[in-house]
Amino acid sequence: MKKAGKLLLVAVLGLAFVVGLNGCGKKETGPIKIGVLLPLTGSKAKFGEMEKNAYELAKEKINKNGGIDGRKLEFVYEDDTGKPDVGRAGAEKLINVDKVPLIAGGYSSSVTYAAAAVAQQYRTPFLVNTGSVDKITEPESFNLTTNDGDKFYIYRLNPPVSEYASGLEGLLKEVVKPKSVYIIHESTTFGTKGAKSFAKTAKKLGIEILGNESYSSGTVDFKPMLLNAKKANPDVVYMIAYVMDAAMLMKQARELNFQPKLYVGAGAGFTMPAFKENAGKASERVVSATLWHQTLPIPGAKEFFDAYVKKYGGDGPDYHGAEAYAAAQVVADVLKRCKGDYSKENIKKQLDATDMMTVFGPVKFTSYGKKIHQNKMQTYVVQWQDGSLKLVWPKELANAKFDYPIDWNKYWK
Amino acid sequence: MENKKFFSKGELIIIFTGLVLPLLFYFSPYAQGLLIFIMMWVVLGTSWNLLAGYTGQVSFGHAAYFGVGAYTAALPFLHYKISPWWGLIAGGIMAVVIGYLLGVVVFRLRGPYFALGTLASAEILRIAFGEEEWLTNGHNGILYITTWVTKIPYYYIIFAIAVASIVSVKLLMRRREGYYFLSIREDEDAAMALGINTKKYKNISMIVSSFWAGVAGAFYFIYMGFIDSETVFALHNISIITILVGIIGGVGTIWGPAVGAIIMVLLQELFRSAIFGLAPQWVSGMHAFVFGLLVIFVILYLPGGVVGDWELIKKKLHLKSNTEK
Repeated sequence: MKKAGKLLLVAVLGLAFVVGLNGCGKKETGPIKIGVLLPLTGSKAKFGEMEKNAYELAKEKINKNGGIDGRKLEFVYEDDTGKPDVGRAGAEKLINVDKVPLIAGGYSSSVTYAAAAVAQQYRTPFLVNTGSVDKITEPESFNLTTNDGDKFYIYRLNPPVSEYASGLEGLLKEVVKPKSVYIIHESTTFGTKGAKSFAKTAKKLGIEILGNESYSSGTVDFKPMLLNAKKANPDVVYMIAYVMDAAMLMKQARELNFQPKLYVGAGAGFTMPAFKENAGKASERVVSATLWHQTLPIPGAKEFFDAYVKKYGGDGPDYHGAEAYAAAQVVADVLKRCKGDYSKENIKKQLDATDMMTVFGPVKFTSYGKKIHQNKMQTYVVQWQDGSLKLVWPKELANAKFDYPIDWNKYWK
Repeated sequence: MENKKFFSKGELIIIFTGLVLPLLFYFSPYAQGLLIFIMMWVVLGTSWNLLAGYTGQVSFGHAAYFGVGAYTAALPFLHYKISPWWGLIAGGIMAVVIGYLLGVVVFRLRGPYFALGTLASAEILRIAFGEEEWLTNGHNGILYITTWVTKIPYYYIIFAIAVASIVSVKLLMRRREGYYFLSIREDEDAAMALGINTKKYKNISMIVSSFWAGVAGAFYFIYMGFIDSETVFALHNISIITILVGIIGGVGTIWGPAVGAIIMVLLQELFRSAIFGLAPQWVSGMHAFVFGLLVIFVILYLPGGVVGDWELIKKKLHLKSNTEK
């Protein structure tokens, strides 16, 4: 036992050394460091990668244009690996070790929610750009009330998940007019909440819900679920899935030759370039709700899209990239208005006063219903047409005709 | 053995080091966070080690007891605003109840079948707790604003739990029960033939083991302030890591899980932070790969784990060996 004791002692001292080294890093006086929490590895890494690229792109532009009062802006990335506990640890590290006065990012709902509690506890402003479950900007989930705006440190740029399908509502009501829908969703916070709010919308529009099934991420065989849906014979299949599952769902639906009138995705995976790459032909004519499209009449949207493609290649960013880029724009704007005082309290004050235009649309943190510090936003509908994502709704902004009814045999051949 | 003091000098030094350690890192909550996780994994590893290492019942589903403990702390809070701190006791007890009930089923199985049975039971709980939204808030998880911002008190609480779990295993292993456990591990049929009530002693081992796993789970909720079923019933992040902690540290040794916990938590953090940001980002995706290599290495060259094969390690490193004996 003595030996084990010695070993433990050595290990413990080793730990002290390693952590101590890390703990007393040098103090930077140059760049202003802002924390960014994103899933850079794990199953949601595709999204994290796109958002990180967008942050970097924005940073380069900001710094090229003089930075923040002559100082450079720098983002410190922390990988949440898509898990709430890791996300919490990451947020703590950003606050305690990197000593950032502001955290941005936040991808998946559950991670963002868990990390938000950390930010709230350490009174560190957290600018959420993707995590979409409603309760993130509802102070009551953090033991506060809507009057506690000055004690509430969470701000959100993107709309909450309950509003994701609001754009879709118009399309369904005016063009598709379905009688029935079958809902398939991932069993995460984002998925269940999204399914619930879509079910509500469907009820409002008088669409019958023939089924509402959930699957857990990592599922590879969707066929039993899709067969059930096929048997129910719905007009519309509504799916909430992250990118790989989304591709798999459509591929297997094609293999089963399951032909409803319309396949609708609820954003997330369905607008990603990786969805098209993985689903191939099966991605054709799939429709998705989205929060952004590069052809929208938003100043800077197209430029951002082109700059992204130029730097990183590929098919360019979807709304996730735009959200991240916009978050970086808000960060720069807020810091500039701080006029040298980069304390958490001053940053929070400037966040409250935010009223600006970003590539994602206008950003202003307002309160309505149970929410405070929430940016309100319109949502849109896109459709995959011949390998590219086209904006089809609302009609007055569309850059392509909504292809409907769809002859699946033609595209799936 | 019997006349020896309960703790050797070395062990007392370890415990003392554990007591002063957070003071060394007083200004680094980040380091304190790591220390807390190490202690939590000591509890889980020790719990697993009693059942698997000493009694030979290799559990692949320790997340079941961990998760039940966590939810026992969280559910009364969610529905009735009862302080989760009660969970530290209630969580352990509830885990024992579940452990006993699961034991009725899985103890009928042996070897790999037992392992698969425990794995399945944890998976069943994971899915059930995820789907039953009315009870558990489903995948939204349960959020609790933690009692303290500072980490020091949490450290001492989990440290005390870790020491208590080690003491309990040490006590058990010095008593007759301990020898019965070992006999079951070595040959269950022979033990039965000698008149040992193997069912009873497997259950005793399970009760103590699941109790500590449940307490660790409850602590996890109190400390982290957030759980969902995917986190606390996780196959990879809880059940498998628990086994790795045991195997790397040393199966069937008192201090093995402690060493394993230190190695695993530090390795995990090293990779998660991409060697503290010094390495490119893709390195952080390598942790599963490195764990795999580590396990292969340990099984091939140090089947007794770091603690169990300490003599061997010393010989290999040409260290002088003049302690004990």
